Amino acid sequence: MKGARFDQLRTFWAEFRRVKSGLVGLALLGVFILIVLLAPWLSPYSQADKRWRDMTYWIDSPRDARPLWVNWFTSRKYTETQTINAASSKETITGSGSSTMRIEEMEFPYQYKAGYPPNDIMIKLGVTGRSSYEVLIVRPDGKQMSYRGSTTIEGAQVVRLSVVETLASRVYAALAPSEDPAFAAQKDPTQIDPMSALFAKAQPGVFTNPVNVPGTYTVKVKLALIGPDAKLDTSQVLVMGGVSGILGTDDGKRDLWSGVVAGTKWALLLGLLTSLISVAVGVIYGVASGYFGGWIDALMNRIYEVFTSIPLLPILIVMSAVFKPSIWIMILVMCVFFWTGPVKTVRSIALQIKENAYIEAARGLGASHGRILFRHLVPQLLPFAFASMALSVPGAIVTESSLSLIGLGDATVVTWGQILRDAFGSGAVLKGVWWWVVPPGLAIAVMGMTFAFIGFAMDTILNPRLKTR
Amino acid sequence: MSEPILVAENLTKWFPVKRSVGQVLRGNRTWVRAVDGVSFSIEKGEIFGLVGESGCGKTTTGKLIMKLLEITDGRLYVSGEDVTHVRGRALEKHRRAVQMIFQDPYSSMNPRFTIRDVLMEPLEIHKVGKDMKEREAWVREILNEVKLSPPEEFLVRHPHMLSGGQRQRAATARTLMLNPSVIVADEPVSMIDLSTRAEILHMMRQLQRELGLTYIYVTHDLSTARYFTDRLAVMYLGKIIEMGPSGTVIDRCLHPYTQALIGAVCEPVSGKVNQVKDVPIKGEIPAATNIPPGCRFHPRCLYAIPECWEEVEPKLVDIGGGHMVACRRHEEIERVGAAARTSEASLGIRRATRIS
Amino acid sequence: MAMERVLEVRDLELHYFTRKGVVRAVDKITFDVRQGETLGVVGESGCGKTTMGTALLNMPTPPGRIVGGQILLDGLDILKISEQEIRRRVRWESISMVFQGAMNCLTPVYTIEKQMKETLQQHREMSKEEARTRMKNYLNMVGLADDVLQRYPHELSGGMKQRVVIAMALFLEPRVVICDEPTTALDVVVQAQVINLLKDLKSQVNLSFIFITHDLSIEAEVSDRIMVMYAGQIAELGTSDQIFGPQGPAHPYTQRLLAATPLLHKEVTELAFIPGTPPDLVDPPSGCRFHPRCHVVMDRCLKDEVPLREIEPDHMVACWRCFHE
Repeated sequence: MKGARFDQLRTFWAEFRRVKSGLVGLALLGVFILIVLLAPWLSPYSQADKRWRDMTYWIDSPRDARPLWVNWFTSRKYTETQTINAASSKETITGSGSSTMRIEEMEFPYQYKAGYPPNDIMIKLGVTGRSSYEVLIVRPDGKQMSYRGSTTIEGAQVVRLSVVETLASRVYAALAPSEDPAFAAQKDPTQIDPMSALFAKAQPGVFTNPVNVPGTYTVKVKLALIGPDAKLDTSQVLVMGGVSGILGTDDGKRDLWSGVVAGTKWALLLGLLTSLISVAVGVIYGVASGYFGGWIDALMNRIYEVFTSIPLLPILIVMSAVFKPSIWIMILVMCVFFWTGPVKTVRSIALQIKENAYIEAARGLGASHGRILFRHLVPQLLPFAFASMALSVPGAIVTESSLSLIGLGDATVVTWGQILRDAFGSGAVLKGVWWWVVPPGLAIAVMGMTFAFIGFAMDTILNPRLKTR
Repeated sequence: MSEPILVAENLTKWFPVKRSVGQVLRGNRTWVRAVDGVSFSIEKGEIFGLVGESGCGKTTTGKLIMKLLEITDGRLYVSGEDVTHVRGRALEKHRRAVQMIFQDPYSSMNPRFTIRDVLMEPLEIHKVGKDMKEREAWVREILNEVKLSPPEEFLVRHPHMLSGGQRQRAATARTLMLNPSVIVADEPVSMIDLSTRAEILHMMRQLQRELGLTYIYVTHDLSTARYFTDRLAVMYLGKIIEMGPSGTVIDRCLHPYTQALIGAVCEPVSGKVNQVKDVPIKGEIPAATNIPPGCRFHPRCLYAIPECWEEVEPKLVDIGGGHMVACRRHEEIERVGAAARTSEASLGIRRATRIS
Repeated sequence: MAMERVLEVRDLELHYFTRKGVVRAVDKITFDVRQGETLGVVGESGCGKTTMGTALLNMPTPPGRIVGGQILLDGLDILKISEQEIRRRVRWESISMVFQGAMNCLTPVYTIEKQMKETLQQHREMSKEEARTRMKNYLNMVGLADDVLQRYPHELSGGMKQRVVIAMALFLEPRVVICDEPTTALDVVVQAQVINLLKDLKSQVNLSFIFITHDLSIEAEVSDRIMVMYAGQIAELGTSDQIFGPQGPAHPYTQRLLAATPLLHKEVTELAFIPGTPPDLVDPPSGCRFHPRCHVVMDRCLKDEVPLREIEPDHMVACWRCFHE
């Protein structure tokens, strides 16, 4: 018995192997499953899935960075994101007891080579206790800009000083003297691009037409830790490059590769679960309708027609407005509408099978309707069910994406549709942030294609109507 | 003989014809009168044949006995118990007592099942046997019974891996699984090659003797019916028109329709190539929705006289020796037939013109 | 019976090339069909009789291929000429076929007239009137009224449809008509009527029939000569009298088949049967192909392949028992 089943499987595989698109689909599916399984290792941000909307989680990555591989195709390179640790530090202790003050002096040299300047430079200081600090950025030509600040509360805290956000006016002040005075006077300090100016030659046009100067730019930090308990936990300078990660980042600094990886799981889950439930329901419904016939069939047909004639999207929109949008409710609602897919075909196949004498023979032996349905009819429809399951996966994924896109998705999970929605919401298309829009879109398309390929291949082999032999 | 094991009294099955909206509104209702009042009784251990052309209601009668179809009217008794409208427990009992062998051994077994699955199914349905071991032993015993041995070899095969004859043996085995008393065999050999046909019939007859079975043999083939059955009923348009011991019905048939049927049979005998076959019948079989008034055979009958369509339908009457015929003119026909037999005239002369 | 030979088949071989191997469905068959006779071809399912029928039209069903032999139709080898030529000159023009279940070959959406006219006009240039007259003639010949022309297939009974199909096989006046199980799907009475029709036609028009069936009884009714096939080969070929006459057939297979046929007017207690099943034609048995099922098998039957030899005029047998050497 087992051997025969195995044989069937083997013939099926032999036939499947001959359908090339099916093999491609299978390979792609394998890739997707691998991505889901290896997600913790593939994604540099292991909590991307849970903390996608938690902006603090992403704070240390660059904003709007392009994918790393963009540099392979451009002549003028984008700066890569890097973390610089203190190259040299010096500690001086003055006073004693409660008036102890330790002064830490650190230098962070940054070798700026060429190409586009970094998107931002962030000085990150982790401090416990009270302190005051002075940050000094020294350019290769000696021009420098400084910033002073202090921490006043007890306990650990992280100070993040962004050149773009905090030091822009200092950069302006330091470089304005070199700019054409007439121009410098009318230029609003907040309108300049501080990063371009910081790495530009101090000459007229430094704000309008910057010429980048390679060299060592040093960030000097002088930190006074006040009191015996105060201490320095971390100190880093983050150069936020123009490129970051496999797929870049969005304007919320989120790593898009991590997002797409996290979305794979949801796409597979949503697609497979929806199609599994809806096809199972549809097949059983269709079989029952065909098998029982008569008024039961007529009634079931009318119910089927009602469901097929209700438009899905408006219902989903209303549902999402009434309930708190959740992926589970979405799956449920899609199942409620997608089960109609296989019904007609299954019913017609069931009508054929039930004419076979062995169905009558089983009835003559006293088999119950349930036994005939599940022992004789449904097993013959399994191949078709698998094929139609594969074919209905893309529909579910696309529907979820569309809903997410119009803002009715489940905001607590990362789906490809959600990423797309964020992209459109922040005008990514208008701003030319293509790396935010293309990957999730492509992922949806490829996932759809994967199951379509598998489904078509199974359909050609298993669908009795397409069978030529 | 012992008392009858199966009695059909005026068994009737009418199928409603699908109506258009107009017909529903007008209240028209048409019926296909597939089985239109059939009565017979079968003794235990008898082989009873039901013969006729397609559409005569012989298969429907078989299915009514199986209770695969709801009986429209009349009564059906098995072993003295009224099973006409039984349900639940009693129906289950009926299912065990009456089994059926289907015409097409190719479609009567689920192609996905192995022979083991096929034979296990009745046991599973009726929860026969304590455990798998006992069931399996029973399956093997039955396979030996129908000469499918060694059983191990056949248990694992699928129906399509068997020859037609083997398949019909397996189908027979399935009917035996529940120790039935009556088996309805619907054309069991018509799709089997001639060389093995006799083998199957032989096996069936052996089983019948060993196990004391009663068969209802439904067929269109008069030759095998003569060979296989004890008694024969000829059906036309849902009614039995002639019934009696097989030899008598075939050799001394009295109903004009039976005569036509017998005249139509081909036999492997030389010297017939240049003779036109004598088939004393005219026209075509009418639709079962529109059964002719009076004797239902009259439009095709060469012996028909006005009484045949003006008066009520003739009943089956016993003319001696259990030979029953439903024809108004059977006495005249018998006289002519006897004369024809004594003068050794060929069948061709036995025509309506000779009587009237 | 020294009549003109219409069709001569010489060493015809047709193989099916399947995944399981080469099925030798028709294996070196040689026979003639004479002018005005009916040759019956009889055998069990899978013996190659239908395959042979389609081979005679040179249209084997894939994956079958004619791999050798000659089919001479009035002296013309139809295996040598192009498909186009066959279509124009041979198929339906000089040899036609009534297929198994042919009555289901009628298209349900066209009237009989339209379907018949199509066949006619493909082969003959004919005015509308001429065509109609001809169609009516042939319908009348097979016992149908003119008004059948205007009817659709579903309005006709099985027997009437079969008559229409027979008329269509006849109306290009071919030399040979192959009938493949023309009566199998029909009821006894209708079957007898169709058999009578064929007998009638034979006396009216001087053409030859090849009548393929699995039923020996029907062959006894219609065929002048009978060819018994077993496992792709001819087992016995003889006249109706030689096969069905009192002396009985010579080949043990034919003998057993005949003994397995129940007779209507005879009380038979035990019928004969042939044990076992027909052989697998991918790997047929050695020697005589019938030997594993034969009740009079000899040593020689297992080793030597048996030729078809004439044992008396017009009677050919392939059985070592029958050769008195």
